[in-house]
Amino acid sequence: MADAAISGPGRRVFFRQGTLLKATVLLLLALLIVLPLLRTVLFTLQPDTVKAWPDVLTGRLSTNLFYKPLGNTLTIGVVVAVGCVLLGGFLAWLVVMTNVPFRKTIGVMATLPFMIPSFAAALAWGSLFRNDRVGGQVGWLQGMGLDIPDWLAWGMVPTLIVLILHYFSLAFTVIAAALATVNSDMVEAAQIAGAKGRRILIGIVLPVTTPALVAAASLCFAGAVSNFATPALLGLPVRMQTLSTRLFGMIEVGQVGRGYVIGILLVLISGAFLWAGNRIVSGRRSYATITGKGGRAKRFDLRGARWPLFAVAMTFLLVSTVVPAVVLTASSLAPSSASLFSNWTLHYWLGESDPSFAQGIPGIVYNEDIVRAVTVTLCLGLAVAVTGMIVGLLASYTTARYREGWASAAITQISFLPLLVPGIAFGAAYIAYLGAPIGPFPALYGTFALLVIAATGYLLPFSVQTGRAVIQQVSGELEESARITGAGFVRRLGAITVPLAIRGLTAGGILIFVKIVRDLSLVVLLFTPTMPVLSVLAYRYASEGFGQFANAITVVILFVSVAATLLANRLQRKSQPWLQN
Amino acid sequence: MLEIRNLTKRFGEVEAVKDVSISVPDGAFLVLLGPSGCGKTTLLRILAGLELPTQGQVVFDGQTVSDGDKSWAVDPAKRNSGLVFQSYALWPHMSVRGNVDWPLKVMKMPRAQRAERVKEVLTLLDIAPLADRYPNEISGGQQQRVAIARTIAPKPSVLLFDEPLSNLDAKLRVEMRTELMRLHRATGATTVYVTHDQIEAMTMASHVAVMNQGGVQQFGTPADLIGHPQTAFVATFVGTPPNNMIPVVKNGTGYRVGGRHMSLTPPADECFAMYRAESMTLSEAEGDTTLPMEMVETSAIAGRTMVTGLRDGLRLTAIVDRPPVERIGDTIQFRLPPEPDGWFGCDGGRIG
Repeated sequence: MADAAISGPGRRVFFRQGTLLKATVLLLLALLIVLPLLRTVLFTLQPDTVKAWPDVLTGRLSTNLFYKPLGNTLTIGVVVAVGCVLLGGFLAWLVVMTNVPFRKTIGVMATLPFMIPSFAAALAWGSLFRNDRVGGQVGWLQGMGLDIPDWLAWGMVPTLIVLILHYFSLAFTVIAAALATVNSDMVEAAQIAGAKGRRILIGIVLPVTTPALVAAASLCFAGAVSNFATPALLGLPVRMQTLSTRLFGMIEVGQVGRGYVIGILLVLISGAFLWAGNRIVSGRRSYATITGKGGRAKRFDLRGARWPLFAVAMTFLLVSTVVPAVVLTASSLAPSSASLFSNWTLHYWLGESDPSFAQGIPGIVYNEDIVRAVTVTLCLGLAVAVTGMIVGLLASYTTARYREGWASAAITQISFLPLLVPGIAFGAAYIAYLGAPIGPFPALYGTFALLVIAATGYLLPFSVQTGRAVIQQVSGELEESARITGAGFVRRLGAITVPLAIRGLTAGGILIFVKIVRDLSLVVLLFTPTMPVLSVLAYRYASEGFGQFANAITVVILFVSVAATLLANRLQRKSQPWLQN
Repeated sequence: MLEIRNLTKRFGEVEAVKDVSISVPDGAFLVLLGPSGCGKTTLLRILAGLELPTQGQVVFDGQTVSDGDKSWAVDPAKRNSGLVFQSYALWPHMSVRGNVDWPLKVMKMPRAQRAERVKEVLTLLDIAPLADRYPNEISGGQQQRVAIARTIAPKPSVLLFDEPLSNLDAKLRVEMRTELMRLHRATGATTVYVTHDQIEAMTMASHVAVMNQGGVQQFGTPADLIGHPQTAFVATFVGTPPNNMIPVVKNGTGYRVGGRHMSLTPPADECFAMYRAESMTLSEAEGDTTLPMEMVETSAIAGRTMVTGLRDGLRLTAIVDRPPVERIGDTIQFRLPPEPDGWFGCDGGRIG
């Protein structure tokens, strides 16, 4: 027995488990995220561009170039984050923990604004509140004879309102998910201890969900400071600059170095805020656990406040979803936004080119640019949904199953890096990265591939986050038991992990699809006439004064986004007998 | 023959398993017994091939399957072993039949043979009528049976169990215990069974390895462990009720036993005296070898009474014929027999 043979079907273990997978994922992340950013930083350090740093930070123009936009950006970030957590948290609380009427309807409607492009609300705002300050058409309210003051028509206030009405649904999703994990035992234990509704909320529910609140605030902050469309449409006409509009402007006028420097500074600032947010919640255990038991929290009885609170919730929800959709649709039919609901014509949709109408631009059905943009946009959405979920699943799988070691930590950190990078800066980085040929590879500027690669990298934080949520639902032992039977990595993924995770994966893919279809900031710099996308066309038409075309295109994007979401729901409802009780 | 040689597993700085050597013959029922965190599950996962040992070897039937010194391992699937997880790890999207069938499919067993084998093991475990249900549609005990059926379907020669009964209620646990032993006889597979429940270990095992803090405290048959515990840890962990361990300290010319002077001749100046619960009695009045204790528990066991007393952190249990007349909280006198049933040193080792 002493000299047992080393023979048979064994093999030498060269690598620890997961080493190969970690290396692959790290390489992918380096190619998608690290290299473009590095390339951008190096660009600003070249001898002829390094001057951009003092220009932006200390030069004569620095107040206008950097400090004023910085102030605006931070104001937007903080106010929007707070507003979103308050509004999103309020709605989440109503839906998950109370007996408010039509809970499910509120829940569905609260997730809709996220499907709507943020420029939709900004365009709708313009159609309603525009005054005669900058010339061109005035909005409906002004047309009705109301005198809309400048502060309500342009600049900071409308930007804040529009952004809050857009990003609150992100906060709602995060907070509602956290509240749903507050199981009934916890609440009942508090009730037995004698605590009443308010006490339970403050003493139990809030502390347990604090990490989610901070996470929601961080995400809304990051979204708001990097948002380009809203401040560009509502702020630029009155010269209110944020860092992202400044960055766009610099690159548009060819001052690439200064643009990149502003981009890098924006990345650092939002990074600092997110880091601070993380510090607040780190050191705490994450309490939220998904257990097999479907603990349903006992609902707070709102009594007399049921209908008033319902009315409050519905007001916000209608204003953020139905009103923009109605206004945009009406405006795409009305020759003058001053009288939104009269003289309707289908010209902007179905009209042939007519020199006496909108400078001869044909309706969007006959507009070759737009038809091509629809195809490109849909293909882009599908391609990125697939690539994004593949990379996201790989990255989250690796970090969830092989937690130890620096490589896993690096994967987590790097995959969340794009969260700090505003879309515009990311787009600019990709031009620096793949705009020129590298070795045997041709320049990708103006190609579909560039859009797909850049968008995959840009949306990685979301795909990894979704992937992680999905992976955590599939316990490690389920996979280990498959490994013992001899099934290889791909087979385990295909037969065990993916079938169990398919709902989450589909949802994640749809989320990515919708995000890219309605994205403007990333593609606004990558846009070329040969590779048009809908959102940029809409933005161009809007800034050139053809509001009806912009609004018509936005309605198309709205329609596509909502249809995609409905499709996702349908797919998810497909029977999964193991989930039915 | 299943052999574990000088096995060590380190996770970073932590030594989860320390220099473990165990060997059992074919068809043995080996129980790894120990408190939580003692390294028994890590050891089991090394046997299954899910972890590579840092040092040492695992040998199944003369074939080395894991060698930490040479970083050499046989794939989990190729060691002819099967593991039943504590959580059962049933695949929730596959029916009971699917769960049992899939591993056979991965083995590339022909379809007809597979169907036959699935039917056979489902019948063996009495769950054939449940074949088309999904795991969330059957009870915990039934899930347990499915997990076992899935593991034995490929006819492994080594069966590994990770605390399989810990999620079942008490009555079901006793039933499954019998069931598992029947299964062990039916399959003849060498079985390694991890548990923290010493009653399970004592009733099921042919061999027991008591583990604590990564190392094996004692390896032997259940009778060995009860009759000749080699360490204080084993003496107080195994047996129902566990043995009593009373500190003995030299005090001038005599010795203090549990705080009272007694005339004993211990082999060391400071040590522990072990008394079996059945050799202790209760006394009406104070005597030469009595210890006053606060009575904290009584419990009727098979026509006798188990009495537990507590004082200054010392806990004593005696099995007596008649229930005491005192009430819980009263002081009672435990009488020690003239000689203890064993002596243990301060390091926990047996000294006499």
